[in-house]
Amino acid sequence: MAPRRAAVVGGNRIPFARSNGPYAHAANQDMLTAALDGLVSRFGLAGERLGEVAAGAVLKHSRDFNLTREAVLGSALAPSTPAYDVQQACGTGLEAAILVANKIALGQLDSGIAGGVDTTSDAPIAVNERLRQALLAANRAKSTGARLAALARIRPNHLVPEIPRNSEPRTGMSMGDHAAATALRWQVTREDQDALTVTSHHRLAAAYDRGFFDDLLTPYLGLNRDQNLRPDSSLEKLATLKPVFGRGEGATMTAANSTPLTDGASAVLLASDEWAADHGLPVLAHFVDAETAAVDYVHGEEGLLMAPAYAVPRLLARNGLTLQDFDFYEIHEAFASQVLSTLAAWESPEFCKEKLGLDAPLGSIDRAKLNVNGSSLAAGHPFAATGGRIVATLAKLLAERGSGRGLISICAAGGQGVVAILEAAK
Amino acid sequence: MQTQTVTEAPRLGKLYLQAVVTARLGGGGALPDTELVLPDQVVDPGHLAAYVRVCGGSRRDRLPATYPHLLAFPLQVRLLADRKFPLPLPGLVHLRNVCTQHRPIATDDPLTLRVHAERLVAHPKGAQVDLVATAEVSGERVWSGRSTYLARGSDAHGAHGATAPATVDGVAAGPAVELADDPAAAVWRIPADAGRRYAAVSGDVNPIHLNALAARVFGFPRAIAHGMWCKARALAAVEARLPDAFAVDVAFRKPVLLPSTVHHVVRRAADGWDFALLRPNGEGAHLVGTVRPPADEVLPAPR
Repeated sequence: MAPRRAAVVGGNRIPFARSNGPYAHAANQDMLTAALDGLVSRFGLAGERLGEVAAGAVLKHSRDFNLTREAVLGSALAPSTPAYDVQQACGTGLEAAILVANKIALGQLDSGIAGGVDTTSDAPIAVNERLRQALLAANRAKSTGARLAALARIRPNHLVPEIPRNSEPRTGMSMGDHAAATALRWQVTREDQDALTVTSHHRLAAAYDRGFFDDLLTPYLGLNRDQNLRPDSSLEKLATLKPVFGRGEGATMTAANSTPLTDGASAVLLASDEWAADHGLPVLAHFVDAETAAVDYVHGEEGLLMAPAYAVPRLLARNGLTLQDFDFYEIHEAFASQVLSTLAAWESPEFCKEKLGLDAPLGSIDRAKLNVNGSSLAAGHPFAATGGRIVATLAKLLAERGSGRGLISICAAGGQGVVAILEAAK
Repeated sequence: MQTQTVTEAPRLGKLYLQAVVTARLGGGGALPDTELVLPDQVVDPGHLAAYVRVCGGSRRDRLPATYPHLLAFPLQVRLLADRKFPLPLPGLVHLRNVCTQHRPIATDDPLTLRVHAERLVAHPKGAQVDLVATAEVSGERVWSGRSTYLARGSDAHGAHGATAPATVDGVAAGPAVELADDPAAAVWRIPADAGRRYAAVSGDVNPIHLNALAARVFGFPRAIAHGMWCKARALAAVEARLPDAFAVDVAFRKPVLLPSTVHHVVRRAADGWDFALLRPNGEGAHLVGTVRPPADEVLPAPR
């Protein structure tokens, strides 16, 4: 028996807010619960037991070890709905959707929610590592004397807390610094990056204006649109910004053509066709297949954010498709340069031959089909929430079109990339 | 060469103090014809954990290839601090270090350490000498190390002729790799107390690593990081890709002043790894190194 295809029934997210903005005092659990409750009201799921909820956050407090289950318990879903946490950096939301979709395809679930949430405002702060070591030693000590001896090692400068850094643990470099090196490698220009950024803002604004997000979004804490969106964004304005990543002449990445730190949450309802029909819910699209890749950025082999360039060709080969066989491309805009470096790699005969082992390059794509409703540069990018935003957006685009196929590509910290194919429901 | 067995690892602080007092009394002459042996050293798991925490890498059931150097180092210092040693210990500069792991060493392998000095030769700025260490498990040599030190302004009278060549077999020059144009694989932000933290674990309390005032006495504007800490951390970055037997060879070119930000560059080579610690402004390398299959000729057979 061939596995059945999982259906994307719908999605919901809260508007994304800029860091330390309107959601400064909202915790991950608050925002994930809000996204879930919006989804529950939209699809009439109050009190319903779903197969499972899989979601996660990238920046997580240690007390939030069971974040998703706690959010479910605080939501209108039946408390008998199981839940678990997923974490694959910026790939979290899409990976959660793949996990739920696979269980549905295998018949293990009939329905489920995949989601993600992140806050850079209500971020965890850890105690100083040497204070932690001293406290642990005191805790392990068997006698009062040994305990006091352990505590006596604490010094005033050990009270300075550890603030989470937006840097790769193994390289000490921020994601932007990594992306800047890759941009240089692919000779991505400042002009191209700024153009992609302006397009993202204009397209997201147009999508809001035509009501595209009316059934994909629930207002939260006074926001009803993504706070980062600048409908009047222009090349002239963007050209005035100073680079923030990279050095000297080759520095092209600015605060505008890089995604800002953002707070937000998203959730996607997945189900079997039968479950959707039983609940009288139309199906927007089907999950076709997915692939995850990883690259060795630690030993200088590849750029940190280039894993999707490897994942997509493997996914295409398995499904007998070419890069041009899509009506929509949703390439997460971590940085404009990341999108453009990936496209350049697929167009490069050398890269496709040497790194991918292909006889011919994947080729270029029709830019008119790329991120047609804008993407992370305009909407913002609360790490784990981006996958859910993109899955719901693409599923609705395919439903509007009534046919066709879409490709999702998301790069993630740790040199990973998660990609997937959706098809319009027939 | 006469063998002298030491039953307990010498205390380094005391030796440094003694060396400062006796430095000007001795000097000149030939290298001591002595091999110091410290038998059956069992690694303290807590100490190894502290070492791994300070140097990076994962806590494993095998020793990092730089760790036996730590066990042999007190014997080195004891040789160097002896009043009959031809070069003064204070102010010695570590030029180069080769650690060769002949096979993986389990953390519970009892290690017998042997140290002697050899190859006292002239250097353009003074005299240099090699301190050679080996580690054995039940008579099998599992590790060897060679540290080359420079004594600025000293004469190599005890060498095979007073006008020995500046370098022997390119020993002082170290591995010839050029990585200056490679992008940084990692950025290290090294805090001001890095020297004190490694000193607390390694016992290498040479004052040039501990505070700026002491460092100034020896001509450094600030305290400097331990070369062996830099090397251990650079090796830890590739530890998951190391073969069972290898030699990691590092030349220390410019001291890392504390605090500092340095770029760590690493590149895969045909038969190992090349790496370097570079100044971020492109003004040269603090350290360059290679990982290669062990080369037998690096160490003469034990005598």
